[in-house]
Amino acid sequence: MHAASASNPFSELIRYRQLLASLIWRDLRVRYKQSLLGMAWAVLLPMSMMLIFTFVFTRAVKVVGGLDITMPYPLFAYTGLVPWTFFSASLLGSVNSLVANRNLVTKVYFPREVFPFSSIGSAFADFFIAGSVLVGLIGYFHYGTRWTFVPTTALAFVPVIVLVQAVFTAGLGMLLAMANLFYRDVRQLLGVAIQLWMFLTCVVYPIKNDGSWWGIVAVCNPMTPIIKAYRQCILEGTIPAGGAFVSACVTAACTFVIGWWAFRKMSHKFAECI
Amino acid sequence: MAVAVQFSNVGKKFRRGAVHESLRDLLASTGRRIIGREVHNKRPTFWALRDLSFDIAPGEALGIIGPNGAGKSTALKLLAGILRADEGTIHVNGRLAALIEVNAGMHGDLTGMENIFLTGAIMGMSRGEIKSKLDDIIEFSGIGDFIHTPVKRYSTGMQARLGFSTAAHVSPDVLLVDEVLSVGDVAFRHRCEERMREMVDSGVALIFVTHNLEQMRSICHRTLVLDGGQNAFVGSPTDAVGHYLKATMTRVGEMSYVDNPRTGKTDGRVLGMKFRGADGGEVECVRPSEPLTMEIGFELDRDVERLTVETAIRRDGGEMMVSLNSRHQGITFNAPRGRHDVRIELPAFPLGGGNYFAIVRLWDADRTELLAETPYKFMLQVDDEGKGTGLLTLPHEWSALKTIEPMLANQKQSVDPAPLETCP
Repeated sequence: MHAASASNPFSELIRYRQLLASLIWRDLRVRYKQSLLGMAWAVLLPMSMMLIFTFVFTRAVKVVGGLDITMPYPLFAYTGLVPWTFFSASLLGSVNSLVANRNLVTKVYFPREVFPFSSIGSAFADFFIAGSVLVGLIGYFHYGTRWTFVPTTALAFVPVIVLVQAVFTAGLGMLLAMANLFYRDVRQLLGVAIQLWMFLTCVVYPIKNDGSWWGIVAVCNPMTPIIKAYRQCILEGTIPAGGAFVSACVTAACTFVIGWWAFRKMSHKFAECI
Repeated sequence: MAVAVQFSNVGKKFRRGAVHESLRDLLASTGRRIIGREVHNKRPTFWALRDLSFDIAPGEALGIIGPNGAGKSTALKLLAGILRADEGTIHVNGRLAALIEVNAGMHGDLTGMENIFLTGAIMGMSRGEIKSKLDDIIEFSGIGDFIHTPVKRYSTGMQARLGFSTAAHVSPDVLLVDEVLSVGDVAFRHRCEERMREMVDSGVALIFVTHNLEQMRSICHRTLVLDGGQNAFVGSPTDAVGHYLKATMTRVGEMSYVDNPRTGKTDGRVLGMKFRGADGGEVECVRPSEPLTMEIGFELDRDVERLTVETAIRRDGGEMMVSLNSRHQGITFNAPRGRHDVRIELPAFPLGGGNYFAIVRLWDADRTELLAETPYKFMLQVDDEGKGTGLLTLPHEWSALKTIEPMLANQKQSVDPAPLETCP
């Protein structure tokens, strides 16, 4: 019916890719303008989290011996925290993206997916910077401790993991952004839920499937195999095999398809209901 | 491609009242529904727009006017794709740019230059396109050296200028403009009008929503009057403005006439005002050069020894044009209780083309008390045959001194009304 909304979603999104780039760039510019450390914050946040958890698990509680990990704990924590920060920052950005851009939603037409996608995009930029610091960290532990790093071809698999995570995040981000537009409680709930979710995922300690309810949660949670896969590929040199990662891929794809379908179906109501 | 935009029987309805504002409300109402306490609680809907049809050809400028809440913005949002119609169809041929809120995407922490790229992208321009037009945009905006300053330090007018300048350089096939020109100074407004005319001349279809009737008339070819979500009138801008104002003025008139705070009690009523042309017949439209007679009928509830009658005339844009008061001519009427008529004769009505609205006031000169007052509801159109714009049509004659000879189209062309009367 309408020239703009009739075309197919992919070609429309491609047409607006420069807008997506501009919005990501705006987010980054605005976030790091008028801040002394600027982009360094992208590294400092996961790094300080890593130091906190290292302190907690090696000095305060001293459970590291029982954590059953084959690598130095700071490396373990950092490889979990960086992708987790990407995930949580993306969701916390997406959930508010439509409401925060109310002016644009009610005044200008373009595909509304651009808003949650741009939140994910700007979180990805931080992820990329924080991730590159990992090289230095690995070097430090390789030369400074008995632990040795063996580069393997498994490293090439990392982009696939990033993609799976991004697809899952985008699907969830669209659902959350839409839900928050209708009910502002979603954003508050997400703040709590994301904290809980982190401890249900192997971000700062390993989680084993031992058949208890705990293990079942871990299996259903697609973030566990995703985070685990980063560690396997980068630090252990193996490509994630087995059902857990595959099922995470399937969950990610389904979330994305459902999220996008629902988002597009509802998007004509956004301007009225926001 | 004969049609740039086509609206066929478009309708849009909204719900009254708020949507569930929080999840708590939703859970509560869902709970009630499950228990069966709450029978169908369908919020009533209303039609913001109904059965609207019009089309626009490339290179045509359509104005949309109407009172607040008439559905103007809804129509534009439907057209822009922000809202979806509940009825009817909308066709847009080509690229559409909406200057509905040009500053919507701006961010105060970014510089003017950065905001140009951002706004441009939001308007659908590619980076390369913006780059190639960057100098034009900056020059048009008149921002100058401040282009590298964060926009939060700009004045409101500067921000608006920056937004409009960017938007004005999108090359659309259809351009929507909604009341954005009201900001910015006079010089910038002129430039915007020029720019819009240029775009229309080059084949862009323009839809212009505004409350500035004068501006609308100077830009648009055709005008649509919306009222209560319906198409109330389509026609030439001047006729449309006339229709719109007549409807609004009467509505305002009915309201304020009943409980005019200034008169309070009713010692008199104005019954009507008539305009008569040169031949004495009643007219609604006059030529500036022809004589005009105004007749005012009124009724008094008590004897007034020294009655003065006043009429004031406004142009449609709101400018007060002239006030005629019998006391200023040294005339008062000794009027007993009852019905009376007075007459004002003018040798000419040398005003510019447009719609004029008159008010009538009756005064008791002894007590300087207002007996009756009407709103601006008596309409008179002046037809200057499209000879010019401006507030006045002045009698004048052109000639040349020695070096050149004037070439006359006809024998002699001059507007030649009777001499103007000077005000005492």
